[in-house]
This record gives sequence, structure tokens and C-alpha cells, in this order.
Amino acid sequence: MDPVDVVIVGSGASGAAAAWSLSRAPALRVVCLEQGEAPDPARYPTTRPDWEVSRHTTASPFPNERAGAADYPVDDRASPIAIANFNGFGGSTILYSGHVPRFHPSDFRTRSLDGVGEDWPLGYDDLAPYFAENERHMGVAGLGGDPAYPDDDRPLLPPVPLGPMGRALGHAFNALGWHWWPSYGAINTRSHAGRPTCVNLGPCNTGCAQGAKGSVDVTYWPEARRQGVEVRTGCTVVEVMLDGRERATGVRYIATDGVEHVQPAAVVVLACSGIGTPRLLLHSTSTAFPDGLLNDTGLVGRNLMLHPLGFTEGVFDTDLRSSVGPQGCCLLSQQFYETDPARDFVRGYTMHILRGAPPAETAITGYLMRRIPLGAEHHRRFAETFNHTAGIAVIAEDLPDPANRVTLDPDHTDRHGMPGVRVTYALGENTKRMLAHGLARSKEVFAAAGARVTASFAPVRHTGWHLMGTARMGSDPKTSVVNAFGQAHAVPNLFIVDSSVFVTAGAVNPVATAQALTLRMCDHLRDHPAITARAA
Amino acid sequence: MRKEASLTTLIDAILPGDAGLGLPAGSRVGVPAFLESHGLAADAAVLLSQVETVARDRFGIGFAALEAPDRVTCVERAKRADMHRASGVLVACLRAYYTDPGVLRALSAGAVPPFPDGNALDDDDWTLLEPVYERGPIHRPVPS
Repeated sequence: MDPVDVVIVGSGASGAAAAWSLSRAPALRVVCLEQGEAPDPARYPTTRPDWEVSRHTTASPFPNERAGAADYPVDDRASPIAIANFNGFGGSTILYSGHVPRFHPSDFRTRSLDGVGEDWPLGYDDLAPYFAENERHMGVAGLGGDPAYPDDDRPLLPPVPLGPMGRALGHAFNALGWHWWPSYGAINTRSHAGRPTCVNLGPCNTGCAQGAKGSVDVTYWPEARRQGVEVRTGCTVVEVMLDGRERATGVRYIATDGVEHVQPAAVVVLACSGIGTPRLLLHSTSTAFPDGLLNDTGLVGRNLMLHPLGFTEGVFDTDLRSSVGPQGCCLLSQQFYETDPARDFVRGYTMHILRGAPPAETAITGYLMRRIPLGAEHHRRFAETFNHTAGIAVIAEDLPDPANRVTLDPDHTDRHGMPGVRVTYALGENTKRMLAHGLARSKEVFAAAGARVTASFAPVRHTGWHLMGTARMGSDPKTSVVNAFGQAHAVPNLFIVDSSVFVTAGAVNPVATAQALTLRMCDHLRDHPAITARAA
Repeated sequence: MRKEASLTTLIDAILPGDAGLGLPAGSRVGVPAFLESHGLAADAAVLLSQVETVARDRFGIGFAALEAPDRVTCVERAKRADMHRASGVLVACLRAYYTDPGVLRALSAGAVPPFPDGNALDDDDWTLLEPVYERGPIHRPVPS
């Protein structure tokens, strides 16, 4: 196979941003290998009335439940949090809710400020222009002037509408004197970049058939492909190959038909997620790296962070049409984001307001939790619940812990015989105290809103979307896998650009920070000697 | 001669119609077909047999002959005896019912696929954020 300048492994949030960034150098030949196929928006679940059924089958975010051809086994029994992802063109952005707030400045300095975690080898100011560039591409709705962030001039679309439920909770936060702000959502609140305006259907997290949600298949990828990046779907990369001088020479992959190929490349970029990237590294063994590529320090797969999540549900007496609107984008509160010495934990959390559940979920959850009976009373009780509910998700910052990790699972393999992964994860004491605090505060919010709390618990098992820390960045090769530009310390033409490189987790959805990092890394990568020599 | 209850009787005991709300009974909107297509027909038959047994043990008559509240009692007791299987069937019945287009329209659940219709949400009055502005910045200073 003809050599290329850059091979990108993975087409999700970071792989797409990398492809777009590198496509700006027209002389470069860039190929992206994606193990899944391109989903067809015309067949997304929301094109059918029974779309809620698909959330537990083909559109499930949980690979073991979805069991698609491109999925690899994930044994998460040793974790209280189940791992979520999507293996297809566009990656997990196909099924995400599109909530894309930035990390805060303090998130990059947890060791200096609070004596926990580690400082990142870069700061918020380094990423600020890349955050803005990413927001332009993804089409982010929101409102400037948020007191929880430094002054900035974000290129935002108008905010996602709060709806009656959101306004009720806004009033409640005001009554408590607490911060709140409309969500930062990758949702087209007006036509943007040739994509239509959101029509508030709600189920963004089964794929947006309208194209109003900023998943990367409709944001970065069209332009990257127009600018020459080649995408090959159905290609499972099983090894990053090295020469005798500890340089990456390309990747070995297996196509859907089972035929093995080698793609030679001057530079290899990994963007397979906080689970997929360590899986590939650990599977790429050699004489130089018998325990897995870049794993000479034993760090690959360790320090997994997942954002343990608490959840409180409130039910209002009145119909607030709460299920209408983008499900995961309404408003957020960062009143308790930063460390307060008066509390019994360091760091903090976001309270993220979730819209009410759709009909089937309302009925099933209500029945299982004994709030909506079967029989004659069913319809009346359902009517008192549906469109009356809201959720508060407490997104907690978990601290890096080497014992929380991803390892290969040779007992369970994918369609090509490549091992799946085992996930071992336990909540730290700091996180437990943080979640307890968050649940108590979320109950106060509902009380101030005049809503009854019907459920409140943590951690919520099926919430493991945010996969971070398993190949972390740093300045010291003894304590990190890559440098601040995602460049592997031990293999200088190998880059990791996904959230594996996160040093700490922050307490917001990681995708905007991952994509901003990717854009910054690729600005650096374009000046890499292996690239400039070939582009000349 | 014993008169055995039908699956229709069971489904309508779980999800009866409500004329006042314009909602049909479960058997009228394809719940039986959903159970069949999702491989749950055998489990539903087992549950039906179990509710029949509970009805005769507890009430001395067949399930079909019971009043509506007693039928629900039988279903719940049968569920407690075989939680996993019965819950699977009951959850599927709810999922089938609440994904039926006719039910969704009757609920005024908003736009129903196939779209292109959507849902309108009012514009917001962002003066609601004034108290948040007035309290000033809350982000933490970070040493450079």
C-alpha cells in the first residue's frame, strides 16, 4: 500500500478535528482508518415512532448491549460505571448529547492549587484560541459573559431555549443565590455552516437525523474530506508498527472482509478514545515495548477517569413540557465547581440539568420505581409524571488514580480476534464526598423550584461516556506518555490526540477540551520534521 | 370447564384503555405483535400461566373472571415469583405502548416521527440571569 504522510486511527471527535487541521496543508496525504461504518442519518431511530426501542438495541451507547460488528468487548464488571461509546464514522459524537462546555483555568493546575492530581503541561490560555476555533466548527450555542469563566469572546450561536422547566429551575437557582447559565450545546439554534436549525425533538443521543446537532460527521469531516483526507471505514487497526529505531512506520489493520493490510505512514496519530487508544497501544507489543507500545513506564491504561455521576429527579405539579428540547442541553450550574476549604472535599462538580424523559422511559422508570402503577390508575399517574420531570446530573471530578485502569481482555475478542478490554475502577473517598454534597444541593434546587424529589442516587451506572487519562501528557517521560503536543516521549512520530492524554478530569464534558487540544497538537504536528520533509 | 385467560386479557389488565384521555387499550395498539417480534412471546405465555395460577390460588377463579384491580394484583404477585422474566415482559409492554404513534399523538407528546414537524419553544428573557451577573465572577484565579 502506498505510504501516506499521516495515518489517523479513529474518526470521532478528536480524529475529525485532527483530519480537518491537517487537511489545511494541501500537500499532505492523510488517511483516516475507522473500524466502524458510516451511519445513515435517514435510518436513525428518530425517523421512526419507536425510536425509544432502539436506545436498548442498535442505538445503545453501551457496546455490550449494542453488540455491533465494529464493537469490541468491554468487561466493566469491576467498575461501578459502565463504559459508553460508539464505534462508527463520527465516533461517540453520533450518540452524544452535544454538551460541550470548556474546562476551567483551575482544571489545568490542580496540583498547584489543591495538592491533588498533577498540573497539565499547558494552561487554559494556551487552549483559548483553539476552544474558539472548535466552537466555530462544531456550531456551539450558548451565551457569553458567564461569570464561571474568564472574560472571552466566544463565537456562539444563540442559546438553546430553556423551556418552561428550565426557566423554573433558573428561578430556583436565583432564589438560592447560586450560579446557573444556559448550556453550551453543539446544537444549531439557527442555521449554521449549511446545517439546519434544531426543531427541539429531544432525542439527540440516538443520532440527529436533522443534522442540527454538531456531530463531527457533519461538522469537521465534510470539509476535511473536501480538502483531501481519505476515510476508510470498516478498518480495524490491530498494531502500530515500529522500525528498529523506535520510530513508527505505520499501522497494521484488518478490513471488513478479513484481509490484513499495512498502511505505511510518516506519522501515526491515535484518536481511538480513552479506552480504544490504550487497547491499541497495549496490543502493539515489540522487542522494544514488550508490555505494550509506550508502556515502558507502565502508565498506559492507568489513571482512568470517568466523571462519576449523581442523579436527582424532581417532579413538578404542572406540565412544563419538560421533554421538549435537546435532552442534554438546557442549563448548568457551576456554583460548586471550584474548591472551597469549608467543604470536606477538594475540587468540585457541575450540576447539569437534563430535560424530562420521553414517554416510554417515563412509563418504564415510573413503573419500576413504583410511582406509576399498572391497571386503571396507570394513565392518570403517567399523565402526572410525563413532561413534569427534570433531572439534575452531578458531574463530579474524579482524581487520577493508577489503580483505575484499562487492561486487555484476552478471554473476549472482537471479530478479528483482537482482545477486548477490562475496566477496573473504584470511586475515591474525595469523589464520594463530592457526590454526596452534590446530591444534597440538587435536592435543595428542586425544593426551591417547588418540585418533589422522586429519586436521588450516585454513582449512576450507565454513564461512562467520559473516558480520560489513560495515556496522559506531561513534561517528564517518567510520569507521562506524551508531551503537551500529544507527541509520544518514546516514539517521536507517534501522536495521541484524544482524551487519553488528559492529566485530570475537570468537571465538565470533556469533548470540547479534547478537540481544542487536538487542534493545538496538530498545529505543532504540521511542523514535525517528518511532515515538513515530505511536504517540501 | 376452565376458561383460560388470553394474552389480550393480560395486556389489557396492565394497560387498559382510558376513554376520557382518548387512550386505547394495550391490545389495540400492537403490544402482542411487539412481544412476538422481540422474542418475548414465550415469556409472555409463561407470565400468563403464572397469573392464571395466582388467580386460582388466591381468588379461586380464573384470571379472566376477575375484576380489574384483582387482575393487577395477580400480575404483581406473579412478577414477584419470577421477577426477571415477568419484568422483561411488562417493560416490553410499556415500551410497545408508548412508542405507538396513536398513543403518542393522544398524549400530546409533541412531534411524532416521521418528521419534518418539530416542537416550538418560546424565546427566553435573559434578564432572568441578572442576579447571576450581579454576583460577579466565580472562576478561580490561576497563577501564571
